[in-house]
Amino acid sequence: MSELGSREAGPDQPPGGPELSAQFQGRLLLEQRSDQEINEAVLRPMFQTGRGFWILVAVLGAIVAWGLYAWGYQIYWGMGAAGINRPVYWGLYIATFVFWVGISHAGTMISAVLRLLKADWRRPITRGAEAMTAFALMMAALYPLIHLGRVWKFYWMIPYPNNRLLWPNFQSPLMWDLVAIFTYLIGSMLYLYLALIPDMAMARDHTSGWRYWLYRTMGLGWRGTEAEWHKLHRALGIFSVVIIPVFLSVHSIVSWDFAVTIQPRWHSTIFAPYFVIGAVYSGLAALATILIVVRKTMHLKEFLRAEHFDPLGKMVMVAGLGWIYFWFSGVIVEWYGNDPVIIEILNDEVFGNLAPLFWLQMTFNVLPVFFLAFKRVRTNPLLLLIVTLAVNVGMYTERVLIVVGNLQRNYLPFNWGTYKPTWVEISIVAMTFAGFILLYTLFSRVVPYVPVWEIKEGRLRYSLRRIGRLLVPTAAEIE
Amino acid sequence: MSEAARLMAIFDEAAHTAEAIDALHEAGVADDQIVVMSGVPYPERALGRHVEWLRLPYIVLAGALGGMMVGFFFAVITPNLYPLNIGGRPTAGFPPVAVIIFVFTMMATIISTFLGVLWEMGFPEFGPKYYDKSATDGSLAVLVEFPAAIEHNVRQLLEEHGAHHIRRPELKPL
Amino acid sequence: MAKGANPYAETGAQHDGPRWGMVVDLDRCTGCEACVVACHAENNVPAVGEDEAARGRSMHWIRVERYWEGEYPNVRARFMPLLCQQCTEAPCEPVCPVFATYHTAEGLNAQVYNRCIGVRFCANNCPYKVRSFNWFEPDFPEPLQEQLNPDVTVRFRGIIEKCTFCIQRIRRVELDATGEGREVQDGEIQPACVQSCPPSALVFGDLNDPDSRVSQLALSRRAFRLLEFLGTKPGVIYLKGGETNV
Repeated sequence: MSELGSREAGPDQPPGGPELSAQFQGRLLLEQRSDQEINEAVLRPMFQTGRGFWILVAVLGAIVAWGLYAWGYQIYWGMGAAGINRPVYWGLYIATFVFWVGISHAGTMISAVLRLLKADWRRPITRGAEAMTAFALMMAALYPLIHLGRVWKFYWMIPYPNNRLLWPNFQSPLMWDLVAIFTYLIGSMLYLYLALIPDMAMARDHTSGWRYWLYRTMGLGWRGTEAEWHKLHRALGIFSVVIIPVFLSVHSIVSWDFAVTIQPRWHSTIFAPYFVIGAVYSGLAALATILIVVRKTMHLKEFLRAEHFDPLGKMVMVAGLGWIYFWFSGVIVEWYGNDPVIIEILNDEVFGNLAPLFWLQMTFNVLPVFFLAFKRVRTNPLLLLIVTLAVNVGMYTERVLIVVGNLQRNYLPFNWGTYKPTWVEISIVAMTFAGFILLYTLFSRVVPYVPVWEIKEGRLRYSLRRIGRLLVPTAAEIE
Repeated sequence: MSEAARLMAIFDEAAHTAEAIDALHEAGVADDQIVVMSGVPYPERALGRHVEWLRLPYIVLAGALGGMMVGFFFAVITPNLYPLNIGGRPTAGFPPVAVIIFVFTMMATIISTFLGVLWEMGFPEFGPKYYDKSATDGSLAVLVEFPAAIEHNVRQLLEEHGAHHIRRPELKPL
Repeated sequence: MAKGANPYAETGAQHDGPRWGMVVDLDRCTGCEACVVACHAENNVPAVGEDEAARGRSMHWIRVERYWEGEYPNVRARFMPLLCQQCTEAPCEPVCPVFATYHTAEGLNAQVYNRCIGVRFCANNCPYKVRSFNWFEPDFPEPLQEQLNPDVTVRFRGIIEKCTFCIQRIRRVELDATGEGREVQDGEIQPACVQSCPPSALVFGDLNDPDSRVSQLALSRRAFRLLEFLGTKPGVIYLKGGETNV
């Protein structure tokens, strides 16, 4: 050890002293900053509600209002306002539902899995990821309502007996879906909130006016005593363990909405893992997209740095490879089986009226994997933004293909059909995208976007260690 | 202990806090009469405190069990309350039952974890409390409760270990 | 157990009554679509109009599918009347979240309109695609509403409906027979499509009764059930020989 290290830099020179290169300052997760400065840096952007912010809110609000009008139009006139038909009984609504549920998967992936693995680069991005999960699930949860023929009877799916003592049918995948989405929504919101309590207390101590009252209420009387921290840690630990099977099960159950049917191509055992890996792929890509935008607009460059985007990009790449693998595993088996219906569906997908979508999907889902192999792409915000946006365009297309593409063809050629979304569907889909961004934007102004206590905790555990000419940050194992 | 006194002291750094707590123990202040407030979670035992035993795991297990029973009720009992032939399936086949029981178990586990930890912490609690806002700015606020007779002694101990702003705290709304 | 003689009978604890079924002789069908018209009239099925039909929103409880056989110039048209197959193991039933569709003791695949919330999962899982969705409020322009059948409800927008084997006719005959203290005779029940079929290509009856006409016809070597490999066990049996008269 001594041979490796101490001759170049004398032992009298303290690590972190003036010779500490700028390169490593960043790695230490704000080593040079005091706690007040971190608080300040996180809280300041929350008060920046300039003209650009309100214009954004107004535009998004207008899109949401228009989407609500479209939904009202559809409820008033009937589902025929949408482009769905026989045999494409499910269209953009269900495709977008699957997309949003997929997006929601990254939050847990980041905060629960990485918390258990003690990956420290997760610290500044957990809250953004968890908020993304919660809001994406809220948007997803709208679609089962939107696509109901009689939405005003939605409560018939809630498990209580009707006046003839008949309960809902728990054999229906839609009931599994309802319960699973609800569980995941509750779980992700409570998880988000639990980790938020100490930061609410921090914000309470540094604000006044309506914000003070809001944070005081949400802080629940947190003082940061040792007992409170201890209990919070235990609860977060339990949450991390419990929410992982939930997050795996949710998208599996969503996939079973399709896979348990006898519709050819849907009826596939690989759908559950294929959906889960696709969800992680699109979710992580969406997280990277959002983090890049937030980093720019909320001036959080100090917190969200290359060393966070680099591993995130790697995870997107691994998920992308997984997606390719599962996609190919599904296709090769079905293609080799040479079932006429399946071959017809595959041909229709690759060469038929949806062929442009298919090639778009393949391009935007496969190429990013190669780009993300380069560190230059992973650490360059603009390139990463483009690549991750492409991933989500590809994944959205994939969901449209799964829902619409497979429904267009079935066993009886007389019933083959096609599908074109109407303005109602497009407006409602746009509504949920705008609604997601709106909720996320408002959230980022009300709640500290960066989990301050987690960053401070991470900073506690870091120290610089000298190896040869290098000063290397090391994390202590203290939990 | 008829006459109890309280002192609030602010430390800038954890090592000194730990030493001060050790000294307070030696001076006869019981461990449960010291409260350390900080904006950062210090690892367990870092400040020389004993770790509280939690009922949380049992609450969570009880919740999980409850959720399992709710799931069982929905998936197995309710279809038998009003049996209908749907596609010739058994009224409660294994796969749907497994899915429903699993999801309800997880839902109850999550909710009971949340409610359990709030209950353990005594939250929500908005009443006035002893608190110092510098806790969230990186300081450690130490609240000590002791017999009034040894107040001078305690004050001296705290000062020796680098505490400042030593004062008698007031109950204030947070 | 004479009932076992018919391979299409439905036996078991829940099936001590009849198992209503239909035989469709494809060799007799001329594709005249009289059944379709009769069904619309009998069951208050709205006509959606050309535009909506072109968008795939046509509503028929029975439809005649036309397939071409052979290469030009030796082309033949094949007509296949397709109605709800009233499957014993219906894929549409378990997927409904609110039990709006279930299998009755008489072997019918029932649709409870009042219970349906319109998720259309059943329609997706029906391999025959015989379930119709009410995309809009049904429209019966003057004077069509004068001929609505009072025995059948007019369905609301946003729900699924489908062939019932003219349950209202089955019930009427059953009630009459009970009132007269006798058994229902074979051939006494005639759904609208069966009644109106000029070449008598459609035959309705009890598949659990080995002496009924449907049971006898079902024993034909021309008999098959549509998409039988899916295991849905339909109650509609098709007859098809080598030749067609079209």
